[in-house]
Amino acid sequence: MRYAFFPGCVLEGAAKENYIATTAVAKALGIELVEIPGWTCCGASHVQDVNDLAATAINARNIALAEQMGLPLLTVCNTCTLMLRKAKTKLDNGQKDQVNGILAKAGIKYEGTSEITHLLWVLIRDYGLNKLQGLIKRPLIGLKVAGYYGCHILRPPAVMDFEDHANPQSLENLIRAIGAKPVDFAAKLKCCGFHATYTAEPDVIRITGETNQSAAEAGADCIVTPCPLCQMSLDMNQTEGQTAVGCKQEMPVLHLAQLVGLALGLSPEELGINMLIAGRELIKARIS
Amino acid sequence: MRKITYKIERFDGVNNFVQEYSFPYQPGKTILWGLITIKDSLDPTLAFTAACRSAVCGACAVRVNGQAVLACETPLDAILERFGDTLTIAPIQNFKVIRDLVVDWEPQAARLAEAKTWLQPRDEFDARKGCRQTAADFKKINTQAACILCGSCASECSKLSANDQDFLEPFTYSKVWKFVADTRDKSAAERIQAIQDKGLWKCMHCAECITKCPKGLAPGEDIARLRQLSIKMGYTGNPGARHALSFVKDIEDTGRLNEAKLQVRTIGLISSIAKFPMALRLLRRGKLNPFHFPGKVKGHEQIQAILKAVRESEK
Repeated sequence: MRYAFFPGCVLEGAAKENYIATTAVAKALGIELVEIPGWTCCGASHVQDVNDLAATAINARNIALAEQMGLPLLTVCNTCTLMLRKAKTKLDNGQKDQVNGILAKAGIKYEGTSEITHLLWVLIRDYGLNKLQGLIKRPLIGLKVAGYYGCHILRPPAVMDFEDHANPQSLENLIRAIGAKPVDFAAKLKCCGFHATYTAEPDVIRITGETNQSAAEAGADCIVTPCPLCQMSLDMNQTEGQTAVGCKQEMPVLHLAQLVGLALGLSPEELGINMLIAGRELIKARIS
Repeated sequence: MRKITYKIERFDGVNNFVQEYSFPYQPGKTILWGLITIKDSLDPTLAFTAACRSAVCGACAVRVNGQAVLACETPLDAILERFGDTLTIAPIQNFKVIRDLVVDWEPQAARLAEAKTWLQPRDEFDARKGCRQTAADFKKINTQAACILCGSCASECSKLSANDQDFLEPFTYSKVWKFVADTRDKSAAERIQAIQDKGLWKCMHCAECITKCPKGLAPGEDIARLRQLSIKMGYTGNPGARHALSFVKDIEDTGRLNEAKLQVRTIGLISSIAKFPMALRLLRRGKLNPFHFPGKVKGHEQIQAILKAVRESEK
């Protein structure tokens, strides 16, 4: 299995532990990730606020680069996935000729031959949970995991049609497959507020506090999320979030690849667990 | 016999309580059919609003297992398949509840009126000649004109749920955009100016409004349209606009985001220093490298050619 890998800017920056974990897990599973040479920022759900056509055109180039490799494009960030899929939806529904006119100035062409997928979807649809189960070396028996989806892997459903946006089950199924126990919690489908970090900061801090509290009250040992931006929001703001909602319980927030990697028997160091801000020791103690 | 159970979050004016009602399943019905069945045969005191039964009046929005829907147009079978035969029915969120599933629209109507969401006709129109536009011009605002004010978007809006004091209901932004884009309206500039202090840059991009609208509106995208126009009109001296512009600049300069510069460009150097404890936390864990300056990506000249071509195509 080979994919054109689109890491996204945050994996080069504040979530480099997710780069470490993703590449380690892919290697352990025999999934070949070929990083797209010359990929650019997806626009991060902000560029369309300046210029919608620019957001579509830069992502048409990103997708075209994957097409040149003859591979489906894989991301590990909800927002990257949405931005790329949104562009693809527009291109495949009437905007292709207009945008190819623009790409022609750069000597490239969008064809529409590469799918845009996410690591979570690949593990479930392409790789298969049965095959994954066969490779588990450290079944996380008894670990209670709150699966936090994040907005952009579900919404809007017209663009993100992998599963039912109102009652998704992919994270729960994955958590079960690696031997852990999925925890149902009220904030499972909530927004982490990441994209309004600078413009509505007090709100963002409080809702991240509420999400961590919701997972704690449901008895979760940790949260897992397929989105590095959600991870950052829930992890980075944890001290302020605890103060805002009056919940003192530390809540480790793992990247999807980190949780899978632990079950595959990789060490916390190999998965960048040390770079988490909250709950590093809780996780290490739990698996030792 | 197969039974359906609605657990309804009720309010009698003083107390909140949950009441369960079970009734026989029938195929091919709607969520509203269940509410009417309960009122007709089990409990006449249950209060809810519904009128047209055709997804036109917008009166019957309720939350089913945490998701706002129009009760009259939502097939019961699909919802039962999704959640099983017991459903939790609650009033829409972010409204004051009057009783049971009935919410008070007065405060929201007042907020809507503050945004002056009515046509301010251009001076060439008068009562005798009327106020006409071409079919092509109407088509530009056709989607936004379809809003039935059911409140589903407001119910699930993440920002509104967090704090409604500095943000408006998503439908209001769609209505403002509708009049900004309406060729018969003369007040686009004033509308854009007025919206600057009404939470324009506080939307969290959660896409709940786009997901929940039963009429295919996308308030989140209308907010993006209002933002684009306000940047074009020069309203760039705020953190939201500076943040968005910063992404475009990084893409044009190198292709990728520079996190260290992003914060300073968005909120300024002084505020960035005030955030030092948070930055220190990231630095200590090796998550932030102030000396990371991404070089230009391979094929960077393509990006510049693309962005130049985009600008030229819009002249």
